[in-house]
Amino acid sequence: MTFFRSGVGLIPEFPSPVEGKDLVDEITEEAGLRPPSDRNLHLTALVKEGEHVARGAVVACVRQDPDICLVAPIAGQVGRISRLPGRRLSEIVFFREESGGTQRHDTAVAETERGLRRLLQTAGFWPRITRRPFGGMPASREVPAAIFVMATDTRPYASDPRQALVGREAAFLRGLAALARLSKGPTFVCWDRTTTMPAVSAEAGDIRMVPCGTRHPQGSAGIRIHQDFPAGLEAPVWDVHAEDIADLGDLLETGELPMMRLVRISGAGLREGRLLRTHPGADLRQLSRRIVAPGSHSLHAGSHLDGQASRWLGHRHRQVTVLPNMPPPPRSHWLLAALIETARPRPAIPTAALGQSLGGALPAIPLIRALGAGDDEAAMDLGLLSLLEEDLALADYTLGAGGDLMRQLRAMLDRIQTEYDA
Amino acid sequence: MIRGLWTRETVALLTVAALMPLALFWIWFGGSAAVFRLALVLLVIAIWQLVFMLSRAQPPSLSLLVTALAIAMLAPEGLSVFQFVLGISFGVVIGELIFGGWGRNVVNPGTVALAFLGFGFPAAPWPVFDTPLAWAAIPAAGLGLVIGVMPSALVLAGLAVGAIVATFGLVSDPVLFAAGIVFVLLVCDPVTSAATTLGGWVQGATYGALVVLFGGAWSGAAPPQIAVAAALLSSLAAPLFDDIALRLWVHRRRRRYGRS
Repeated sequence: MTFFRSGVGLIPEFPSPVEGKDLVDEITEEAGLRPPSDRNLHLTALVKEGEHVARGAVVACVRQDPDICLVAPIAGQVGRISRLPGRRLSEIVFFREESGGTQRHDTAVAETERGLRRLLQTAGFWPRITRRPFGGMPASREVPAAIFVMATDTRPYASDPRQALVGREAAFLRGLAALARLSKGPTFVCWDRTTTMPAVSAEAGDIRMVPCGTRHPQGSAGIRIHQDFPAGLEAPVWDVHAEDIADLGDLLETGELPMMRLVRISGAGLREGRLLRTHPGADLRQLSRRIVAPGSHSLHAGSHLDGQASRWLGHRHRQVTVLPNMPPPPRSHWLLAALIETARPRPAIPTAALGQSLGGALPAIPLIRALGAGDDEAAMDLGLLSLLEEDLALADYTLGAGGDLMRQLRAMLDRIQTEYDA
Repeated sequence: MIRGLWTRETVALLTVAALMPLALFWIWFGGSAAVFRLALVLLVIAIWQLVFMLSRAQPPSLSLLVTALAIAMLAPEGLSVFQFVLGISFGVVIGELIFGGWGRNVVNPGTVALAFLGFGFPAAPWPVFDTPLAWAAIPAAGLGLVIGVMPSALVLAGLAVGAIVATFGLVSDPVLFAAGIVFVLLVCDPVTSAATTLGGWVQGATYGALVVLFGGAWSGAAPPQIAVAAALLSSLAAPLFDDIALRLWVHRRRRRYGRS
């Protein structure tokens, strides 16, 4: 059975130039901190414009849950704080300063589960965790039913988590053992079956290794969660990237949370691909400045499948996609457009490609029909609560739906969350 | 950002490509009469698609090529133009367009049109298929399976049942040939066939069982009529098979994980 499952999925191909050989660390002159994607999240800024902050210093906290903090990704001066209507924090921009220093944390408190939780929240580790159902950060006191550590990423041009862990195996194991203490259930480590993973000792707790194939979406967190430990309304499941687990191990050892991460820049809008180490909130314009091809282009934080146009690298992004801006297609006659283009969403025709785009893990067409019809109960029965937009990105791409599928999923999750919270 | 290719129209075109062996053999044997018949069906369906585009902003689909081929190949012969157009119109409008077009329909419009013509004008003789044409259904099913536009479980179930029926001689050769052609043209429609793996296997087996049942017990029926009736019933039962398959799947997951 495992043999058959290892071949499921697709290998979508996108044009991108050859990658340069050098792997450099790059801290951008400006960095932007935006709230993690969570519709109900209100942040309170704890710094003022012009203030100088150390790398890792607390700059904002969640209004409803002040234990959860966001920290400065680089040392520097707070250049701009942007707010949305309702004094909702939209963005904090930092200007880099060499002499800003690094925030250190007392790791002695991490001996207890409560102290460890507090350390992760004040050190800015919390936004690196995604919870399911519904997505976003977990609440400060949430106890997960299981944790998934993703040491594989099958998205096209994803940076290899194993490369990010080279030389950091001890930190990874330390971080893994610590994070496992926060869960009341098992901790799953999903890894690429073509590589080897560091051996985990039995003392680290209930840690289970999950080998994954190399086709997408086998390395997608939602698909793994759906297959091995589905999330439920009363059973939240967290997922964390393996590189962040190594960062957690370093935090526990040194008191400083490393900010640098392995990021790949790819896309048809480049002259040359690039693999580098940079920080969350990095300025995508600076990262791609010397390698973009002539002509108009757009920068996306994320992969070809699920990337969002952005100027800054997000909390969980490890990919940057640069695409050439294509001239808009000629507009068809208004009457023809009204007759042909108004029927939306377009129907999904069942094909083998569509089934493979969900890894064969769940019935693709019944789920897509339930999403299109707004049938919450049927979709929940089919495993909706384990999924987020990124897990359906390949199916959306396969169908040429232009994001319709991901929007339907988000609308349904928001609706279910509103009903659940009420 | 970037869009993939498996849109409704791509699938329709790939289905046409998969059915090419069957279509080419049929035109080869049928000659200009077959081409005229196909052109007439295409014209009628295109007019109805235009009507629904103008009245309900429902975009037309290239799936009309598949529907037209099925109706042109399988419809009874000797009908007047009025009868023929009436049957096509009934099938296309009631079977597909009023549901919102291809992708939202419940039954195959070709199946509905053929059933209407068969039951409405029982005196009209059904076509007889040459042996090479029936053999061409096998590469068509193979192409559909490889390209991925025909449900794999259904195609494999159909081939397995067909092999068993042929081995044990459960039906006569004309019925077997007609059943093979109808299977590829009507039953393997990705939209109206079962969407789950288990459902596909059961639907394929049901179609085969109905063909054997009608072949043995329905005296006086022509082979294509038997196959079309089996296709209609198995297609109507497909949502039920899917529902049962999904309930079993959800039940298994609930037993294993405590939730689905």
